[in-house]
Order: sequence, then structure tokens, then C-alpha cells
Amino acid sequence: MKKVIELRNVSYDYKSSADERTTGVKNISLTVNKGEFVVLLGHNGSGKSTLAKLLNAFLIPDQGDVIINGINTKEEKRVFEIRSKVGMVFQNPDNQMVASIIEDDIAFGAENLGVERQELIRRVDWALQVVNMHAHKKRTPFKLSGGQKQRIAIAAILAMLPEILILDESTAMLDPKGREEVLDVVRKLNSEQGMTVILITHYMEEAVDADKVFIMNEGEIVASGSPREVFDNEKAVYEAKLELPVACKISHMLKKDGFDIPSCLTVDELVEGICRL
Amino acid sequence: MGRDITFGQYYPGDSFIHRMDPRAKILLSILYIVTVFLCVSFYSYLAVFLFLAILILVARVPLRSVLKSVKAILFLVMLTAAINILFYREGSPLLQFWVIRITDEGLIFSAKMALRLLFLVIGTTLVTLTTTPMNLTDGMESLMSPLKVVKFPVHDVAIIMSIALRFIPSLMEEIDKIIMAQKARGAAFDSGGLIARAKALLPILIPLFVSAFRRADELALALDARCYNATPNRTKMKELKFGYRDLVASVACLLFMGVIILLRFYPGV
Ligand SMILES: Nc1ncnc2c1ncn2[C@@H]1O[C@H](COP(=O)(O)OP(=O)(O)OP(=O)(O)O)[C@@H](O)[C@H]1O
Ligand SMILES: [Mg+2]
Repeated sequence: MKKVIELRNVSYDYKSSADERTTGVKNISLTVNKGEFVVLLGHNGSGKSTLAKLLNAFLIPDQGDVIINGINTKEEKRVFEIRSKVGMVFQNPDNQMVASIIEDDIAFGAENLGVERQELIRRVDWALQVVNMHAHKKRTPFKLSGGQKQRIAIAAILAMLPEILILDESTAMLDPKGREEVLDVVRKLNSEQGMTVILITHYMEEAVDADKVFIMNEGEIVASGSPREVFDNEKAVYEAKLELPVACKISHMLKKDGFDIPSCLTVDELVEGICRL
Repeated sequence: MGRDITFGQYYPGDSFIHRMDPRAKILLSILYIVTVFLCVSFYSYLAVFLFLAILILVARVPLRSVLKSVKAILFLVMLTAAINILFYREGSPLLQFWVIRITDEGLIFSAKMALRLLFLVIGTTLVTLTTTPMNLTDGMESLMSPLKVVKFPVHDVAIIMSIALRFIPSLMEEIDKIIMAQKARGAAFDSGGLIARAKALLPILIPLFVSAFRRADELALALDARCYNATPNRTKMKELKFGYRDLVASVACLLFMGVIILLRFYPGV
């Protein structure tokens, strides 16, 4: 399998003044393979955004190396190459749009890369179709719902043809319906286009069907593995001040009370487990 | 549902004028402004009036929206007219008392002045009624592109304009929210004297600035994430094309200018 992201002992501190430093991330090592769906969990201030910014060369590590597709982010000349390969979607969709007409906004990133005109038009159509917003091509984004706006923001990144898509709490401001819309698009991109996805969130529910889950606390990765492995590591989850999904919590409680039930990630699994008792 | 504020004055349509290249519209409106300043006699003002009437018919925009922008400057027009009437010195007096002297030439002069202002506004309004602000921005960017030679950041200026347009509705929404939030806390915006009202604006402006800066911060990240400034050879999806309409319109405007110039030699008031 092809490694697309590799971090080796990466640390980063924010230097607000000469003698004042805030830890961003501490000694992080991880790898992500092509086509993986990775979920990064952590409470506020745990260093998730810092890690994301290290991945697309917004920040350069104080120690260690970040290697994207074989390129070290320290290579200044290749910053734009990295950024076009590592697309980043942020939390507030309203603050990510630069143009008043949706198709212009989608084209912006690809225009910046100097993509030739016919190809631009093709990419804009394609990106809008992927996120299911083609009907809105010529309209303004203002009357759209949060979920729709965030899908536009994703399409705007897709038009640059990234290989890795990072969503930094891109579902945090959305209602449950909008969240589901966005997650559907992201899952589809992952399964159908083989896009490597890094989803940053503090909803543990969003992690249940990930390939890999990382939990961060105080700038460090404190748990990693498949969702089941990570969710079973209750101690790490609680220390990181996260909430397990309800189904998971109930199954753990039942187990503690002596019932023979496997740990469950979803309500369906829980129902099945209880029926088998 | 109110009209989308993003489009400003734009009146959607697909008339001959709507479909012209924005660059042609900008250039021809400059030509038009010059032409209006070349008018001397009332005959030429009549010619401008007819020209505008034809333009409005061709653009198929409602007279109402044209008059709206006239209304906006009506006060200015009347004020300048009044000042001109009262203080114009030349000509034979019709009425005279104290420092005030109303003359026949004064009346004619101020009428022409008022007409000139009105015609200028109506003409330029026709451009903004038939062109979206985004299209105008694109047109300006293209027209300014020769300035790149002297290292003027044409493209950055265009992006700034585009982002400003983009954020006007967001900030308006924000202001509404802040006003409601402050009202909920018991703030009164529509009572008290001038100073009290000005003071009441402070609790709106401060949160507005704070949020605008926060937005700017995120927007800067989003611009970088989308490789802003990655290459000097930036491409553009939307192409502006000079078409037959622009040619026809240019000829028409030049003819109009010719008529006005000829009218300068025709006797009349
Ligand atoms: N620009 C900055 N300057 C100084 N300190 C910062 C800056 N950005 C983040 N920090 C600090 O770095 C630490 C990690 O922040 P980070 O933004 O990575 O957390 P996060 O997990 O993304 O949190 P959130 O869930 O709130 O987005 C925090 O203690 C934060 O206060
Ligand atoms: Mg964050």
C-alpha cells in the first residue's frame, strides 16, 4: 500500500512572544495510506487543527518531518504542490467562499493553479456533480443551507484534484441533516474515487466506519487503531474528555455487569448483541 | 423574499445591452459622459434625452428602477439648481433683492446643469442595471490589465473587489443578528437624541469588527489552502468576448457623439 502521509516525531509550538510558547502538537508519528478514511478525534485545544495545518504546509514542524506523497513540507519551493494535493475544508463554510457565484468560487483554486480553460470548465462541472450541487451552479451561495454551503466548499477543493481531503471540523456548525449530507459526500468520495480522507471531529459517532482512528489529547496521540480498538480503550477516551457513542457506552456497561456482549459501535450492533443474550 | 443584495441594482434580463461585454459598457459609458459634457443647446439635451429613451427601451428595464436612482440624487440636483439660480451673475435680471439676483441666463444655466446631472446618472445607472457587479469587476480587471506592466497588482485588486462583494451580504446578515442580540439585551436603537443614537451604534460596531476580523483570518487561510498566488500564470474560467453587439453599440455611441458635436454649431439656446 502506498503511504501518502508520514509524520516522524513531529512537534510544533506556537510562539506568541519571545519566552511564551504554547504546545501545538508533541512528538507525533503516524502514517496514512492511500484511500484510507481516517478520523482524528480530540476535545477543544487538543491540537487537531495544528496537526492538520502541518499536513498542508501551513505550519512547518519545529522538530521531525512531515512527508506528503514523498515531499517533505520543509521544501519551500513545493508548498503549492503540497497544498494542491492536500485539500483542506474548514469549519465555517461562509468564510471559505471568495466569489459571489457558485461556479466562480469552485473555479478559483484551479484558476490559481493555472489550469487551462476547457479543463477548468470540466472540473467545475465534475466537482459540482460529485457533491450533488450542479443545479446551483449559476446561483449565489447565500440562501443555501449550511450543509449545502459546506458541500460547495468541498467542491471548491475538489476542483484542484487533491489526493487527500482534510475536513477540519467541517460538520461542527451543521444541523444533523446537513452533517449527514456532508458525510455522505465524503464517504462517497472515499469509496468511489479512492480519496484519502482525514476527518477531524469531536463527534465520536462519525468515527465508527473509519479505517483508522486517532485520538489526540494535549497535543499528543493517545490512542490509535481501528474504531473498535480505540473505542474499547475506554481509559484513553475518557482521559481525552471524549464521549463514546451511546451504543458503545451501553454495551460496555452491560459487559461490566456481567453480560456476554461484544463492544458495539452502532445501535444496530447493540440491538443484535442484546437479542443474542 | 427580498432581492439578492449581491446583485446590487442588477435587473436580470437578456436584452441586447445585458449581453454586451462589460468592458464595452464601461468604455462606452465614459464616452457617453464626455458626450454629455459637450452639450450646449437645448437641442443637444433633447438629443441626449431621446438617446436615453431608446437605450431604456432596448435594455428592457422598467422605468421605475431607473427613476429610483434619479430619486436618490434628486436632492443634489435641486440644491445645485437652487444655488445656481440664486447666485448666477450674468444676464439680465428678472428679479432682484438683497444679494439675490435671478437672471434669465441663470435660469437657463441651472436648468442645463440639472439636466446634465440627471442624464449622467441615468446613463450610468443603465450600466449597473444591466451588468452584475461580478461582471463589472471582471470588466475592470481586464481593462486595467495593461497596468500590470508597471507592477500594479491588478489581479489582487480584482480579488479584493470580488471578496468585498461576496462579504457584503454576510456582513449585513451579521448586523441584523447583532442588532437583534443587543435588542434582546435591552438596547434601544431608535430612541433618544442624535448623540444617544450614535452611542447606541457602538455595541453594534464592536462585535461587527471583531467578527469581521475573525472572518478575515479564516478567509486568509482558505485563500492559501486554495493556492492563491501559486503561479503568475493564473487562468480564468470566464472569458470576456468582444462581440458584434459591442461593435454595433460602439458605432451607435460614436454617431450619437457626432450628432452632439454637430449640434454645437447649430444656433439655439
Ligand atoms: N495561532 C495560535 N497562536 C497561539 N496558540 C495557538 C494558536 N492556535 C492554536 N493555539 C494553541 O494550540 C493548542 C492546540 O490548538 P488547536 O487549534 O490545534 O486545537 P484543536 O484541537 O483544533 O481545537 P478546536 O477543537 O478548538 O479546534 C491550543 O492550546 C491552542 O490554544
Ligand atoms: Mg481546530
